[in-house]
Amino acid sequence: MVLTDAVRMSDSRHTRRRVLGAGGALTGLVTLSGCGLFDDDPEPVKEPDALQPVLAEALALASAYDRVILTDQSLSARLTPLSQAHRAHAAELAKVIGTTLPSGAAAPSGAAAPAGDVAGLRAAELAAQKTAAAACKAAPAARAALTGSIAAARATHAEALR
Amino acid sequence: MKEELSSALAAEDAAIWAYGLIGVHLTEGTEQDQARAAEDTHRARRDDLVEQLATLKASTAPTPAGYELPFPVQDRATALKLAIQIEDGVAQAWRVVLPVTESTQRVDALSALTDSAIRATKWRKLAQVTPLTLVFPGRPAA
Repeated sequence: MVLTDAVRMSDSRHTRRRVLGAGGALTGLVTLSGCGLFDDDPEPVKEPDALQPVLAEALALASAYDRVILTDQSLSARLTPLSQAHRAHAAELAKVIGTTLPSGAAAPSGAAAPAGDVAGLRAAELAAQKTAAAACKAAPAARAALTGSIAAARATHAEALR
Repeated sequence: MKEELSSALAAEDAAIWAYGLIGVHLTEGTEQDQARAAEDTHRARRDDLVEQLATLKASTAPTPAGYELPFPVQDRATALKLAIQIEDGVAQAWRVVLPVTESTQRVDALSALTDSAIRATKWRKLAQVTPLTLVFPGRPAA
């Protein structure tokens, strides 16, 4: 059956990567919680979403690719699709989590910056694959397919960098 | 879950059948070895699925009368193209198993999805198809 189905050769319908424009929008995220006016009624501390680390890694990887491309333009054709894939992953994860992606090219703090060469990227992909696979295992059914695809994508990136 | 596992089984069966055709058109040595290894893996997955479906008391999918190739496979280029398509298809079949399984069973489905996606990338490399990767392996494009 698989043979006769039109199995798609490319995955071009992914969300166009969010344009991560100039920084600065982060300031808009600063809340008023520190101002002391509402001390009587503290906001309950919200548990971070289980997919937050997967999202942080996607953004960190996208930035890491961009940095490597900046230092060696000849790698651009090979690395740009991988960087774009991570941004597409981040966009979908943000949608599922119900958060907005931080503007600005910088990855959020907390995600380690991978080494700035192809070998470093490959190691980072393999580590990130484990994070996504663990997230897939623990995820509710509705999130299993997305996290699974992201884990598999990271594995294929590592293969592509071999 | 039976339905999803049956679809995965059908995809694995198709892959085993296809690799028989693919192998003969590839270069002897590494390429043919890669095809043989892929076929063996698909066989192991197929056997696992048959066992799981038996446990679930589901009848395995009826053997299709005959597979139809999406295009004639006559040479190395078309053999590689079919290999890519087969692995993308198997990845799609396993991806739908993820939401209907849990814990170790889901981990198994994820490794089947991941392995197929990696093999598709290896075949793309040999076929010099770019990009080498899909953005969301296993997700149907439409």
